[in-house]
Amino acid sequence: MGETANPLRVEYAGDLEGLTVVRQAAPSGAASCSLTYVGPAGWGYESAERAGIARLVNQLATAAAGPYDRIALARRLDRVGATVSFQTAPESAEVTLWGPADEWEALLRVLAEMVLRPRFDPEDIERVRRQAFERSLRETTQPASRADKELLRAIFPEGHPYRSTGIGEATSLRRVRRADLERFHRDHYSSGGALLVVTGPARASAVVAAARGHFEEFGARDAPKLRVPVVRPPGPRVERSIDLPGRAQVELRMGGSSIARGAPEYPAAYLANEVLGGRPLLSRLFQRVRERGGLAYHASSALEAMRFGGFWAAHAGTGADRWRRVVPMVRSEIARIASQTVPPAELNRIRESAIGQLPLLLESTSEAHELAVDLAYHGLPSDYWITWPATLRAISGRAVREAAATAIDPAGAVTVLAGPLRRRP
Amino acid sequence: MVRPGVARPAFVRFRLPNGLRVLLAPQPESPSASVWVWYRVGSKNEWPGVTGASHWVEHMLFEGSPRYGKGAIDRAVVSVGGELNAFTDTDFTAYFTTVPREHLDVPLDIESDRMTRALITDEEVGRERTVIHSEREGNENWPEFRVEEELYQLAFRVHPYRWDALGRRSDIESLTPAQLREYYQRFYGPRNAVLVVSGGFDPRPVARDIRRRFSRLPAAGDDVAVPDVEPEARGERRAELSGPGTTPYLQIGWRAPALDDPATPATLLLDTILGGEARLFSPSSGWGRAGEHPSARLYRALVDPGLAVRATSEWRPRVYPGLFTIQAQAARGVSLDRLEEAIHRLLTRFARTGPTTTEMEDVRAKIRHGAALAYEGATRTGFRLGYFSVLRSPEFEDELYRALLAVRPREIAERARATFRPEARVVVRYTPTDEVPDG
Repeated sequence: MGETANPLRVEYAGDLEGLTVVRQAAPSGAASCSLTYVGPAGWGYESAERAGIARLVNQLATAAAGPYDRIALARRLDRVGATVSFQTAPESAEVTLWGPADEWEALLRVLAEMVLRPRFDPEDIERVRRQAFERSLRETTQPASRADKELLRAIFPEGHPYRSTGIGEATSLRRVRRADLERFHRDHYSSGGALLVVTGPARASAVVAAARGHFEEFGARDAPKLRVPVVRPPGPRVERSIDLPGRAQVELRMGGSSIARGAPEYPAAYLANEVLGGRPLLSRLFQRVRERGGLAYHASSALEAMRFGGFWAAHAGTGADRWRRVVPMVRSEIARIASQTVPPAELNRIRESAIGQLPLLLESTSEAHELAVDLAYHGLPSDYWITWPATLRAISGRAVREAAATAIDPAGAVTVLAGPLRRRP
Repeated sequence: MVRPGVARPAFVRFRLPNGLRVLLAPQPESPSASVWVWYRVGSKNEWPGVTGASHWVEHMLFEGSPRYGKGAIDRAVVSVGGELNAFTDTDFTAYFTTVPREHLDVPLDIESDRMTRALITDEEVGRERTVIHSEREGNENWPEFRVEEELYQLAFRVHPYRWDALGRRSDIESLTPAQLREYYQRFYGPRNAVLVVSGGFDPRPVARDIRRRFSRLPAAGDDVAVPDVEPEARGERRAELSGPGTTPYLQIGWRAPALDDPATPATLLLDTILGGEARLFSPSSGWGRAGEHPSARLYRALVDPGLAVRATSEWRPRVYPGLFTIQAQAARGVSLDRLEEAIHRLLTRFARTGPTTTEMEDVRAKIRHGAALAYEGATRTGFRLGYFSVLRSPEFEDELYRALLAVRPREIAERARATFRPEARVVVRYTPTDEVPDG
């Protein structure tokens, strides 16, 4: 396999006035292509008064753009067998198109329309606003989403981009006008610091030439600055309990602030999280809470390392009569990962599992594409995924423990419970 | 250009003397290999008192067999970077493992060990009981689950489609290890299974390996037909639920044909035109528009004018006649009466006029592209080959594909008239009890 045909090697193909163009070969035999635009347009850039606007703009960009109203756009994509998705995060917003490989250039044209010329038709704004309002209600009343929301609010201070889930509140959503949407779009969708990632059959030069043609209106302005306040430890053992009567299951979250993806200890912290709860089936939380304890259907952990920082969180869903037994179990596993060296056999098993997983991530274009978007967003070297196995193999048990003490710090952990907490007759 | 037809890779098939059907689909360039075992057992094979047994047995097949003690299956697969899971449906139970191609022997060894010899010990059954309770409770947190469970319970009085594959709470409480072992021994075995291997491997040595490992298993496993026939509904059935949440929600169901009914292709297109989802021929699973289909009829009739925040339809082909459903979540300030009336008006009009020429062109394009792109990767290949095989045969996909493209608009309108009869309607409405903040 030549290097440019290896999906693990991602090419930085060119820079067009602040738009970095990245190309990745599709996995062998794949018949599809994926294209993603990532811009500095996450909810970290929105004001509290207009909370939710970043997600509204992101969704509306995929709804109707350029010559296409919402029905014409849906049909345009259906007719070529393509789909569109969007993802808003604290720091960024993404629009992704997926479709037949030989349609990649036509899809790039549609993607450029979505990014540069969303229509913000009034009826679309109202429809998306109604959906956002419903999501915000659910976030408050569903145990899982409520627990996630409360955890972030407990960890991060006011004004921090990671404090919110980006959905917004009824009052802030109601306040958003079309002019606000257009302004947010103008400031965040055609400025520097954006990425275009294309996975498919085209050569890098063809991708750059096509991008130059379709994104020629892209501005050369500097990337907007994200304000990131300092996160202070929340104090000793912060606990939040939200009693939601009538629900069947209690959702538990324990977490705290963590390191950025670019931190030197990230690979070791990644392994620490995999040992704790990130690696499916093998992790300590799954083994202790589900397999040995039989107390929950799901028990896991995640390390969300972003550009300017991050957070870690352990998750479990358990019954109203069982959460009191689950909380100390999760707490003790978090303390153990940060204080004791992981035994070599266990570390090796987790490490080889993470390394062995790479071929599975190359099964389809869309899975391989996620690797490329991740690499490019964090500005990692082209061969990052090729060298990833060697990076992981070089990490010692001691390094994992030390990284865990920083990235999964039990002293700074917040506990949140949401669900039917009180026993009722 | 779209290649015409279903883009399924070439495959070989054979049957072992003990009845096991085997399909091998080599994809030489694939870096991974996927092993799927499909059993023709699901909640349709259960009866009151043992509801949820199929799903519980699915859990127990990860908890120990002669060569793999508790946790050993997970360790063997995940340690080499593989992933594994299983799911239980009304009509089947499927187990899959995808591994880097050089480790294909690992899932083959596991599947041969647990196909007839899973241990299902008293101790592990006891421990798993709370895990299954917890899985059910997680679902119960969602009003949609509560409504759907009620809908099927109301629609079916005799047929086992009446209960969810998770089983009733009371049965999860009372099922015994002996009952689970008996259930497993009756339904699991080569005679009732399809083994699919897809991805990067050489088929000849793998076929030899499969014969060596699986031929020695006893010819066990019954494929039992469900004797209960659901009688014709003689009037509308309706239920009103209330509970936590903030958004009023409803589901409406109508009796719909079984998989082998000649009306299947027109019913599938009816679902796609109303709800937007191409189901079996969706071009991308898990990478789509997340249920948003702005050009679909329900979306245009309910979401666009602000009556609903979400609306879709669903018909999944099943072995026995199931339900065609419509689900909608009311927008704020819209009553469920008004929403239901709008759905009724839409369906009446559609049954009279049928789909437009544009809708027919759109839906055919979706099917063509879906068929061309659906086989990317070893895991999806194993899923599709196994799914169509366990229901009928791999060729059923081709038959269905051709039949879908041949359906005329008139047939879809006829199907709508035959399906959306008021006397065959089942309606479940959910009124939330949480206070909604001013907004």
